Amino acid sequence: MTTYIVKRLGQSALVILLTISTVFVLIRMAPGDPATAFAAPNATTEDLAQIRTQLGLDGSILSQYVTFLGQLFTGDLGTSYSFRAPAFEVVLDRVPYTITLALAAVMLTAVIALPLGIWMARRADTGRETGANIVTIAAQSMPEFWSGIMLLTVFSVLLPVLPSSGFTTWSGLVLPAITVALLQVALISRLVRREMVSNLTSPYLTVARAHGIGERRLVWGYALSNSAIPVLTALGTRFAAMLNGVVVVEVVFNWPGVGSLVVRALETRDYPLIQATVLVTAALAILVQLLIDLLYPLLDPRVRLGKATAR
Amino acid sequence: MRTVMSQTAQISRRTLLKALGVAGGAAAVSGLAGCAGPTGGPPPGSVTLGLNRSLVSLDNKLNQFDAAVTVQRAVRQGLTRIGPDLTPVPVLADRFELTSPTQWTVRLRDDIHYSDGSPVRIEDVSTALEMYAQVNGSYLAAFFPEWPTVVPVDDRTFTLETERPLPVLDYLMANILVTPAAANIPEELQSGLGTGPYVVTASNRGTGEYTLRRNDRYWAGAPHVKQVQVRFVPEEANRVVGLRSGELDLIDTITPDSAEQLQGLPEVRIERVRGTRINQLFYNFRKPKDHPLAKASVRQALSLAVDGRRLADEILAGSAQSAVGPVAQTLNGSVKCGAYHYDPRRAKQMLEAEGINDGDLRLTLIWESGEFAGDTSVMEAVVQMLGDIGVGVTLRQFEAGGNISEWRQGRAGDWDILGNGYASPVGAALPILQGMYGGTPERERTRDTYQGYVNPDVLRLLDEAYAEVDPARRQEITARVQQVVWDSWPSMWAFVPNSVLAYRNRVTDVALEATNSYELANVGLEA
Repeated sequence: MTTYIVKRLGQSALVILLTISTVFVLIRMAPGDPATAFAAPNATTEDLAQIRTQLGLDGSILSQYVTFLGQLFTGDLGTSYSFRAPAFEVVLDRVPYTITLALAAVMLTAVIALPLGIWMARRADTGRETGANIVTIAAQSMPEFWSGIMLLTVFSVLLPVLPSSGFTTWSGLVLPAITVALLQVALISRLVRREMVSNLTSPYLTVARAHGIGERRLVWGYALSNSAIPVLTALGTRFAAMLNGVVVVEVVFNWPGVGSLVVRALETRDYPLIQATVLVTAALAILVQLLIDLLYPLLDPRVRLGKATAR
Repeated sequence: MRTVMSQTAQISRRTLLKALGVAGGAAAVSGLAGCAGPTGGPPPGSVTLGLNRSLVSLDNKLNQFDAAVTVQRAVRQGLTRIGPDLTPVPVLADRFELTSPTQWTVRLRDDIHYSDGSPVRIEDVSTALEMYAQVNGSYLAAFFPEWPTVVPVDDRTFTLETERPLPVLDYLMANILVTPAAANIPEELQSGLGTGPYVVTASNRGTGEYTLRRNDRYWAGAPHVKQVQVRFVPEEANRVVGLRSGELDLIDTITPDSAEQLQGLPEVRIERVRGTRINQLFYNFRKPKDHPLAKASVRQALSLAVDGRRLADEILAGSAQSAVGPVAQTLNGSVKCGAYHYDPRRAKQMLEAEGINDGDLRLTLIWESGEFAGDTSVMEAVVQMLGDIGVGVTLRQFEAGGNISEWRQGRAGDWDILGNGYASPVGAALPILQGMYGGTPERERTRDTYQGYVNPDVLRLLDEAYAEVDPARRQEITARVQQVVWDSWPSMWAFVPNSVLAYRNRVTDVALEATNSYELANVGLEA
């Protein structure tokens, strides 16, 4: 297990280095000059040249990259141009908000999608399931900005019972979490339904049924356990994606997460902030994937980490 | 390696599934609990401001944004401030007088101190000036033809000395915020020690949220409101919804469309004043001599094709006025120089007189998104209007963070008209004229003039105006500068937008000023 974790962490470090190096080069090749975003609109050419020197942007991309790597290995991700503060700290200020929203959305998704998926599987190919399918497909088809605005209009403007923006109280989490979860519920419930139908019609369940095991135990104890790995993988992947920022939802609800931060950083060509955001979110996403992999043996004893699965 | 089974034996699959179920249930319950909680409205005795830009510092050394000025001035103050009538009003100084052409005499008030009780000293002023001067690319530095030197006279009195006369120094010093010398650095300051009516008690740069507490020892008397929450709400729609739902008390920098939405709501008040910013469709003055735009008559003809009144009334919903001079009419020293007339027939005749027929002239109009409210609609209407006189226009819109600066300097591509706004934080016409139209051939070599505008007559008059210490005579010259600029047709059309502020009825005594700012110390709450 330890060897597996160490190996995975080593691979992850390489992935992060590759990702951040690609981002480093690409953002410098894009049009726009951080010096002009940093300086006042009336700054002179001389001012801009001085600012470029001050920001360490006057050398070649290669020399900037070497400097960046040197700083990276000492834990220095540079100073954000727009926040005039260490980029890492600025990102860390935002990360808790992103994690909170992602956790709430994933949990809400699990709480709704699992029973819904099971319910649909047990009523497969019936009129009720078709009705539920229509609802989930409709939820899946709704763009987040639209569902967010609708929720906001109803619960913040017409019935002002929930905050429209920011995270000043816990109630501020409700609408963004529902908006993010709507799409996920549709996706995950359909996945649960597919996996459950496959398990409910499998021979081992027929045998178990013949042994007189109750229907509730068959569904919740046997079929759901065997459907858990793909569902957990999907939930984990969605969670990891949310850690990179749910940009649209963050904008609609003025949620102070990393998604809106990176948009702002891109607009101002804030290189250190872009790099720090990519580094932190990539690390978080990889960590989440690793944790999910570590959960697999708990869900299915046949899984051996670091070895071919004896399935 | 130990086997996986032995490591995980204590946690069964059933236990894990149960744990996940409990966690999911807890999330749902916390959501429901959230529903029952407060809706994020301001706590009692508190006012919440929604700013459109993040207040990344409480300083203005590098940049000065309208939205930030109100909050910055609530914490730090200058020797003077630009008052409601756009003239300098003493703040930390009780005397600010021009005592000779190159010397101003200033006396600090005897009752001023910082929020920690320490006194304001002359050294703090001299250090502040040094720090502002050392910042590269400072917006405010461009308004100072030279930095004055502080010469102490006694404990409270000092002189500000310049090499050449600087008759608008009392205006310019309104933007120099004073901080204890030992804490001042040539960067934007993040901490909040100042002389203002509020002190910062909490801040989060990442989210742009600040909490200000009333400075009970404020030298001019403690403000009415105990606490001010500053929130960064970049999207205008969020600010409008936040105001409607009562989460925000006060929002600024709103477009005519949003103002219209809020108009008539019983719980919201809207305040509009004529602003100091001028937005222009400015010509490119770097065109070769044989280019049609190098001729003032062609520039004037194109202006005649633009129906400024319709743009202001219909597209900008009456929230702007066509300019009548090269700077906003609200600025001290501005004069009316003329007007933009709409006469497409005459425009066509003038173009034909210059040998330009239908389809001969194709122009490129560039601008950055969000340069002013309704920018895209204005540009599209202008394309239609110029099309009516046979002039084709290609629009090129740059997103924020793009390379419009390189385009403006002509380094990335050619263009003909630029949609641009010019803020006027100093309240007087002369420094703005200097900033926009005071380009010299030397500065043009590095493309550092305002879109290539270099006019020897304007330069000479500006020099005369700056050297003139008699206010009446200086105003006469300033008026001539404006007329010379106006007659050179630098803009196809220009307009002055209103400053607009919306606030909930519970907030009182909000007096919006032309600079798009207000005195936070005067704001109160309904009993």
